[in-house]
Amino acid sequence: MSFIEIDNLTVTFRAQGREVRAVEGVSLSVDERESYGLVGESGSGKSTILRAICGMAPVSGGSIRIAGKVLPAQRGRAFSADVQMVFQDPYASLHPRHTIDRTLSEPLAIHGMPDRDARVVQALVDVGLPPAFRFRYPHQLSGGQRQRVAIARALMLKPRILLLDEPTSALDASVQAEVLNLLSRLREEQGLTFLMVSHDLAVIDHMCDRIMVLQHGRTVEEISRDDLAKANMNTPYARSLFEASADRMLGSTTEPAR
Amino acid sequence: MTALRVWLGDPNPASRRQARLGQLWLAWRRIRRNRLAMAGLVIVAVLLVVAAFAPWIAPHDPLVQDLSRRLLPPGTPGNLLGTDDFGRDILSRIIFGARITLYIIALVAVTAPVLGLLIGTVAGYFGGWVDATLMRLTDIFLAFPRLILALALVAVLGPGIENAVLAIALTAWPPYARVARAETLTVRSSDYIAAIRLQGASAARIIAGHVVPMCLPSVIIRVTLDMAGVILIAAGLGFLGLGVLPPTPEWGLMISSGRKFLFEQWWVATMPGLAIFIVSLGFNLLGDGLRDVLDPRSASR
Repeated sequence: MSFIEIDNLTVTFRAQGREVRAVEGVSLSVDERESYGLVGESGSGKSTILRAICGMAPVSGGSIRIAGKVLPAQRGRAFSADVQMVFQDPYASLHPRHTIDRTLSEPLAIHGMPDRDARVVQALVDVGLPPAFRFRYPHQLSGGQRQRVAIARALMLKPRILLLDEPTSALDASVQAEVLNLLSRLREEQGLTFLMVSHDLAVIDHMCDRIMVLQHGRTVEEISRDDLAKANMNTPYARSLFEASADRMLGSTTEPAR
Repeated sequence: MTALRVWLGDPNPASRRQARLGQLWLAWRRIRRNRLAMAGLVIVAVLLVVAAFAPWIAPHDPLVQDLSRRLLPPGTPGNLLGTDDFGRDILSRIIFGARITLYIIALVAVTAPVLGLLIGTVAGYFGGWVDATLMRLTDIFLAFPRLILALALVAVLGPGIENAVLAIALTAWPPYARVARAETLTVRSSDYIAAIRLQGASAARIIAGHVVPMCLPSVIIRVTLDMAGVILIAAGLGFLGLGVLPPTPEWGLMISSGRKFLFEQWWVATMPGLAIFIVSLGFNLLGDGLRDVLDPRSASR
């Protein structure tokens, strides 16, 4: 049995009498400590799957199980301690009027954890930020530094699963590589399971063991990393996605995306 | 002094307090560049000082009557701004009246915005029927003309300074609720709220710790801009005899009593009128300046 099991998931948004099916019958399973990628163009439903796991999207069919247990309708604190998310835009995901210290210590306060000072400093060190940044405000940090803070925040509760919603797409190329390397290192150190969304196959290729290609909310194809490296796809859509980013990927499977 | 400035401007504050004071210092530097806002701040500061030290500043007792010296014009030795129909020194009455004005402003400023913030953020955050109920309630209060509702309340509760404040506060909160709700709606769907919700925070914690700080600047700006209106309504209630009771030296009441001699002894009504005008102007200028400093849209993200 897999760690994350999504079975026949359907998400339907209703607005002004119209129904939009953002995700239709998607099934996937992720093993513990695996890194799983969701790829597709804008509107393919990949971010919606992450939001559905967090209870932020209206699930209209199918089931989501984590460690064999079906998620309760209200996700609750136990879920928070298990699953955390890193958002796409580091400029929007940190509270502009809270210091880094407040942002990082708040989850500890919510869950009543001791040694907050020590944990906050340790979290900053873990993501490669100097402890002197602790009382800065987000507007005093660069985009890459903010995303490191967002990653640190997601890891404050020592979750087992990290959902990554295009964690590097708002950053410029050199910072992208740093953040991706940081994520790989943290996964290794803390034994995390990644479920990662990206539209960039180069990023996914660097990070993920298995990939699912999505289009219009449906599964197109599931590809293993080896098949991706050999450009071994079955469907024309997956191939066209691959070709769009092939020049940045070939021969760089061990190196980060530029 | 320079050491303090360096400490405040430190990009790597060592404590929560230093970080907060550093932000205040930056805001202060921004507002200092705005001359009009500084003028408003000076007027409000003068009002505060005058109110605090009224017994030492005022040349006469504001309540002592001297019918042999009634209706003296401004510039009379001993009565710089003249005397009213009971021979009381107008300058002293204005100085003591600053206390009452400030008392009313302070009471309204701590009640109405708090109530408005609470209702607005709760309505905006929860949405749905909570939002509909609270906002229709707000609409009902907004639909009443402010002074008339205040009049009705005072007529029921009886005149007096506390009742006047209660009446003003009850009619002043709906605009704050509207502002807070609008701000909440823009904040509610942001990633940082989604993030804290995902951390397992309760609705109360999210509203108090994450939504309110984003609404506060707009509300503070509204409050300072509304202060002029509050002074005027308090004066209006006093003028109609429904606010503060005589012989308390309240500015609106003083204008009311000077009405009878407006053409012959113009200063009796004009001097407290000028005081109201200057203080209202001061709050308006300060509010405009604060908007430039605090507006979340103009500040760096």
